[in-house]
Amino acid sequence: MASPLEQFVNNVRTISASGNFRELCDIISKSDEVLQRNGAHLNIVLETLDIQQHSLGVLAVLVAKFSLHQGSNDVDRSAMYQQICDFINNCNGEQVRFCPELFAELCHLLTDHLVELKQPIRGIEILKKAIRKIQLFDSQLTSIHADLCQLCLLSKCMKPALEFLETDVTGIGSELGGNNDSKHFLLYYYYGGMIYSALKNFERALYFFEVVVTVPATVVSHIMLEAYKKYILISLILHGKILLMPKYTSPVACRFLKPLSVAYHDLATSQHAAAKHRETFVRDKNMGLVNQVINSMYKKNIQRLTKTFLTLSLSDVASRVQLSGPAQAETYILNMIEEGEIYAMINQKDGMVVFLDSPEKYASPETLCVLEQQMAACTKLHQYIQEMDEQIQVNPQYIKKSVGCHDEDMPATSQNSKTTYTM
Amino acid sequence: MIVNFDKLCEELEKQELEAPNGVASPTTYAQLLAIYLYQNDLCNAKFLWKRIPQNISSSNPEIAAIWAVGRKLWKKDLPRVFQTLAAYHWEEPVATIMRALEENVRERVFNLIGKSYSSISIDTVVSTTWLSKEAVLQMCRDRKWELNEDGITVNPAPPVQPAPLHTSSEDQLFKLTDFVSFLEN
Repeated sequence: MASPLEQFVNNVRTISASGNFRELCDIISKSDEVLQRNGAHLNIVLETLDIQQHSLGVLAVLVAKFSLHQGSNDVDRSAMYQQICDFINNCNGEQVRFCPELFAELCHLLTDHLVELKQPIRGIEILKKAIRKIQLFDSQLTSIHADLCQLCLLSKCMKPALEFLETDVTGIGSELGGNNDSKHFLLYYYYGGMIYSALKNFERALYFFEVVVTVPATVVSHIMLEAYKKYILISLILHGKILLMPKYTSPVACRFLKPLSVAYHDLATSQHAAAKHRETFVRDKNMGLVNQVINSMYKKNIQRLTKTFLTLSLSDVASRVQLSGPAQAETYILNMIEEGEIYAMINQKDGMVVFLDSPEKYASPETLCVLEQQMAACTKLHQYIQEMDEQIQVNPQYIKKSVGCHDEDMPATSQNSKTTYTM
Repeated sequence: MIVNFDKLCEELEKQELEAPNGVASPTTYAQLLAIYLYQNDLCNAKFLWKRIPQNISSSNPEIAAIWAVGRKLWKKDLPRVFQTLAAYHWEEPVATIMRALEENVRERVFNLIGKSYSSISIDTVVSTTWLSKEAVLQMCRDRKWELNEDGITVNPAPPVQPAPLHTSSEDQLFKLTDFVSFLEN
């Protein structure tokens, strides 16, 4: 007598052997219920399957097993980390790539488990491996990326995520694109922006938050709202004002985000907003960034002085920027010179600052190097766009649609001409 | 002894990530923290300090001492950096990194002074670099900073820019061809 479970095992074995993995994927997606119902026997099933040869089958069983135990306190969970790690290390990449959504599901389960254990750092290495295994190419975004960023943030160990964040995305994994949930896409950019702001790479952080806010949307998600708040703060730190949203932002985002983040808009216009809305900022856990905004205001004011004055005494700087005294002004200016934010010379003997023009003549080999890099980046971008264009032109759906339009247009125009003719 | 700190850094990071239960050994943490400071990567140093488990950081005074230096660096309180560096007796292997860090910061201070001051009193230089007056005067002579007649202030000269990167003409020609072929197509 073959129970549904035995049938499943047999199917996995025979189809894996024949190499028809697409068919196996279909079967697996239908046998979800069978596996869930036979929770007690899943360990035995695991023993009969081989990680390398029957990767897809093992994957399905593992996902069923661990999503089953969610919520209930089971002894099995102690082995969960080890089992998933073994699987990710040893599974057959070619096979699991047929079913990326299930693989991602396993990684989400692992992430949740480690978050619960409060040991997020243990998952970083393994998720990095998992991403490399499931990716078809380096710049493909998968839904595991968001998990990795979450673990990095929670463990306060940001560096490992950078190698992924720094690669500009040119493709999206099938489990993430299409009609699927956009949660992991938004989360990746939101967490990424947080990582970059923690490391004070504000330009990149601003870009990441902008991506979240400008995702085409018909409703506003909470992730978007939080990203918008941080977008305002980073934009204030970086530019001293709130940058306008790009034109392609969904109208719904523009309409709903602003009224929901009034406190943040106040920050740009009044100096006392930080104290007034303190509670909101603390509740949103954005106080650290708010303090950085205030700090950057002094710097922006000093920068503004360099536009008006050629020389100024340190005490004048202090009074104009509302610092406590010349000594504080000197430290600010010194720090800014080191960061390359202003060009100035301090003369301690007379207590004066001379503001200089940027010494950059744009004639150095470094400039040339930067220019070459930028040109290379543009060339690369152009190439991507061309490739995309070609792909779209041979896309059957696109052709059908454009040809279809054409067909409908034809009679319409002829009718038009007919009416004009009769008239 | 010349140690390649960047490489050591990668190894230590890997050790931390692969540590069982997510907790690495105190020496790993201490070295990694010191290296981050040496690289002036203060953000990562700060987060490393925050993620070192409390029982390790409290039972290892060296880690706490390293971060005391880090805190001064974070606040850009450079004179205190030297003070804190001198206040603790470093053990190997951290001592090597800390020595390199001290040299690094001192170099940075002199470059910064050269870049930002047209005149500065020797006393300020002495207090920011935590060197003796003789040592400062020696450094000033090495850098050809002029001592004023009053004997109190010096006129620093901007640091000399390092020699421009040399790119072979072949390389440049290659890039140019690339660029032109892009424009033509």
